Amino acid sequence: MTERSPSKRRLHRELLSLIKEPPPGVSLDAEQIEQNLFLWTIHLEGAERTLYEGESFQLQFKFSDNYPFDSPEVIFTGEHIPIHPHVYSNGHICLSILTDDWSPALSVQSVCLSIVSMLSSCKEKQRPPDNAFYVKTCNKNPKKTKWWYHDDSV
Amino acid sequence: MGNCLKRSTTDDISLLRGSDSIREASSDPVGLPSYQEALSVQVPPPLYHPSPSVTRSVTQLTEEEQIKIAKRIGLIQHLPTGKYDGCKKIRECVICMGEFMVGDALRYLPCMHTYHMTCIDDWLMRSLTCPSCMEPVDAALLTSYETN
Ligand SMILES: [Zn+2]
Ligand SMILES: [Zn+2]
Repeated sequence: MTERSPSKRRLHRELLSLIKEPPPGVSLDAEQIEQNLFLWTIHLEGAERTLYEGESFQLQFKFSDNYPFDSPEVIFTGEHIPIHPHVYSNGHICLSILTDDWSPALSVQSVCLSIVSMLSSCKEKQRPPDNAFYVKTCNKNPKKTKWWYHDDSV
Repeated sequence: MGNCLKRSTTDDISLLRGSDSIREASSDPVGLPSYQEALSVQVPPPLYHPSPSVTRSVTQLTEEEQIKIAKRIGLIQHLPTGKYDGCKKIRECVICMGEFMVGDALRYLPCMHTYHMTCIDDWLMRSLTCPSCMEPVDAALLTSYETN
């Protein structure tokens, strides 16, 4: 226990608080995460009275040893990727807090809440206009993308 | 020296401060360790972050980046520090998400947000902003220099 790195200690604290008080629509498999604290799968439910009501999604978080100084790598995974102007069909998400605007005061919980609110404010389900090109040419790691952030109000 | 020599950044920070450091060779806590020094003690060169997402060892820094980092270290050292006295107003460091314990070394930012010194110094070496309110740390510091 004393050998825990700061990143592990913090991830463990985040896990405990998410188990204790999961935000609405967010759930996780704690046992699976305990096996590998640096790779989390989170289940998201589309919020009620939004375009995504009744849909469920999976988010994958990958953390580095430098977490929380480095942002986590966050993508949608699984069968069902939400159709949204900031979500590419390969699961990559264009969200500035995941790169340029990251701060160590953010957390798994705040990232999930931002993504839920990004989905909730969507008015029309569509892929980003450059989806086909991006998916063909991008790096596997979305953090390597030089994002050009779309209008944040969408 | 290959590029594959990685070290945890926590160690680098304590190295830079010169305190709690295993290395006694570095007597000047502000200065960057010189190349020779780094080579002679056989430790990999510390890693620096000229900008948040860029990580380089000291030997890979351009002169401009070295100056930027030296200035940054100087600025960080001018931020007030203290020890946690059990004050109820602040309880938790949002970086490590741990509760403050009496005696913990703290650093106070100009915006009045408080963190463990080790936690915030690691961040400030990447970005001179407060993690909680995103207030730039250097602007406030520079104005306080001028008024003093
Ligand atoms: Zn801390
Ligand atoms: Zn602040």
